[in-house]
Amino acid sequence: MKNRKRMTVVFSLTLIVLFAFTVQAQAGETYKLGLSLAITGPTSDAGDPYSKGVEDYFQYVNDMKILGDDKIECTIRDDQYKTDVTKRNFEDFLDQGIVFYLNYSTGSTLALKKDFDEEKMPTIPASFHAGNLVDSSYIFLPIASYSAQAIGLAEYVANNHKGSGTPKVAMFLHPSAFGRGPLEDVQKAVAAGLKIEIVEVVEHGKDLDNTAMLQRLKSKGVQYVIGQTIQSPVATMLKDASRLGLVAKTFGEEGKITFTGCHYTGGNDLVSLAGPAAENYYWTTSYIVTSEPGVGTDAQLALAKKYGRDEKTANSHNYANGVMVAQVAAEAILRAKAKGVKITKESLYDELLAMNGMNAFYPVTTVGPVTYSKTDKAGVDTLQMYAVKDGVFHSVGAPFIPEYTGKIK
Amino acid sequence: MSYFFQLVVSGIVVGSIYALAALGFVLIYKSSKVLNIAHGQIIAAGAFIAYALTGMVGIPIYISFLLSMVITFFLAMSVERIFLRRLIGEPIISVIMVTIGLMSIIDGLIFLTPFGSVNFSFPLFLPQTLISFGGVSISWTQLVGVIVTFLMIGGFSWFFKKSTVGISMRAVSDDQFASMSVGISVPRVFGLAWATAGLSAAAAGVIIGNITGLNFETLQAFGITVFPVVILGGLDSILGAVVAGVIMGIIQQFASGYLDGNWGLNGTAEVLPYIILLIILLFKPHGLFGIHEIERV
Repeated sequence: MKNRKRMTVVFSLTLIVLFAFTVQAQAGETYKLGLSLAITGPTSDAGDPYSKGVEDYFQYVNDMKILGDDKIECTIRDDQYKTDVTKRNFEDFLDQGIVFYLNYSTGSTLALKKDFDEEKMPTIPASFHAGNLVDSSYIFLPIASYSAQAIGLAEYVANNHKGSGTPKVAMFLHPSAFGRGPLEDVQKAVAAGLKIEIVEVVEHGKDLDNTAMLQRLKSKGVQYVIGQTIQSPVATMLKDASRLGLVAKTFGEEGKITFTGCHYTGGNDLVSLAGPAAENYYWTTSYIVTSEPGVGTDAQLALAKKYGRDEKTANSHNYANGVMVAQVAAEAILRAKAKGVKITKESLYDELLAMNGMNAFYPVTTVGPVTYSKTDKAGVDTLQMYAVKDGVFHSVGAPFIPEYTGKIK
Repeated sequence: MSYFFQLVVSGIVVGSIYALAALGFVLIYKSSKVLNIAHGQIIAAGAFIAYALTGMVGIPIYISFLLSMVITFFLAMSVERIFLRRLIGEPIISVIMVTIGLMSIIDGLIFLTPFGSVNFSFPLFLPQTLISFGGVSISWTQLVGVIVTFLMIGGFSWFFKKSTVGISMRAVSDDQFASMSVGISVPRVFGLAWATAGLSAAAAGVIIGNITGLNFETLQAFGITVFPVVILGGLDSILGAVVAGVIMGIIQQFASGYLDGNWGLNGTAEVLPYIILLIILLFKPHGLFGIHEIERV
């Protein structure tokens, strides 16, 4: 009798345990990810829509059951652009057991580079600084580096220059690692045969009036400015150039200056700040813009609408930026899952490295495919040139891959 | 030669806007010996209020400019009433620490609105043509900025020299206890000092916002950018703020125009004002027009 009672208890317990496991299997697994970025503080005009892009896409993945019963739980934390806070956030994320990490600024990515390697954590930052990849195995840039973008702009200048002689170029840089990053690579490209002459390198300050700088550039015969900075100083420069009648109405117009810039100098935020002075500004990025019709635009706007985002966010290229990095992370999880591999930081790292050739990933938010390998950690190599016409960015020509990025390697 | 004069004119334009932005520091320091570290945030708030009234409510920019000054006047007065009134008589460093806290609070409040992380620009309301004379050009925005600056500075100079309230504010700055003994309400004077500083900050914010566009980081950074102007002019001198502002503006333009890009130099426009500031302070530690107090025992 006693034995029978014991048997019943054991049987019941076994049933309970089995039931618990079944329920857990049905509920699916939860994969933890972390994102630390500036939702407030400096550069939050980019960070805020970026965070919303990440949040919305992961929500979409969960809502649409793209990973079946499995879910992505991405903790998003504001670091106010402070590296010490980013480090603390990253350490907290590690304690939570994240399998993939999304970082933001150039400064914090450079500062935490060793931590990412030590923890073997696959990391995608919002900074496209080529220096992020030096001595690092675990950082993956989502798109072409700032260097590749600046070289792409320089190549575009060389190929579309209308006047005689070598086009004279000035670089307009943010006074930081983020701004200075591409200079050396553009200089290398020039040394390797790229037909432009860098006449001056300007590191801007918080200028209220750029008259002196612009007239100096003009007197030196500068015809093109390549900017690697944020929108605000570009907007002030464009307003001053417009006031002085220096802005070229067509690319390379003689006697005028054609202003161009990399990813974070442009987009709708620039138009918001510079107003009509943004007209004829040339800008390159690997992302689509919503002022151009297409599948990517439809998808981006539909996602933003689904999650109740305002019009500014929905049309921000930094929203697309956030959506895209979330797409890459979700795709890596999906591929690992399809192989029946356990989702860990190691397996996701392997999936990123295998994302090339036939396995390249095509998010509709970019103008080209995402390709990674052991020797290529920059995702989308393709760039698109855009120019402001009637207050919106329109594509100019076809997407292209800068030649000299390969030549200077 | 026209290049030289263009740099001088640009320097005066930039310098007078610096002076207007610096005025808020001076007005508060003049009456309470307190350095308001949150001044940049008030500049930004003034600009955003004007934009909200124009861009969101639809009030013409001229009226919203005046309204933003009135609103910021009362806002700054309320800030003083809520946070700083209780600190009257306490060590100055305590009050300055409170203004640092205030900076974080206003930052946080602005980030609760769209203005914290979204960029805007004022609608165009002035002619886009240039005003040119002798090869030197200036935009309407800059010209209006300079006129508003000099009107406000003239007004405040008159206020402090001639009006009863202004004189009582100077008296409080000299000696709080002596002022109280002759019947001056020190709390009222402090409130007024903050309110007038808010008024000038709003004007500066709208003018800077018209030039740079409305980006919170850019606007609030001007609180720090004009710090050398305040120190160079002498913390308690309105005339000092104007002179120092123009000096700084011209130095920046000359550095950018003649030094940057030559002899491998770059970014001198950012550094040179500080070098000049240090040299001048070696000879005039209280700034160009600051009061040198001598206490006889």
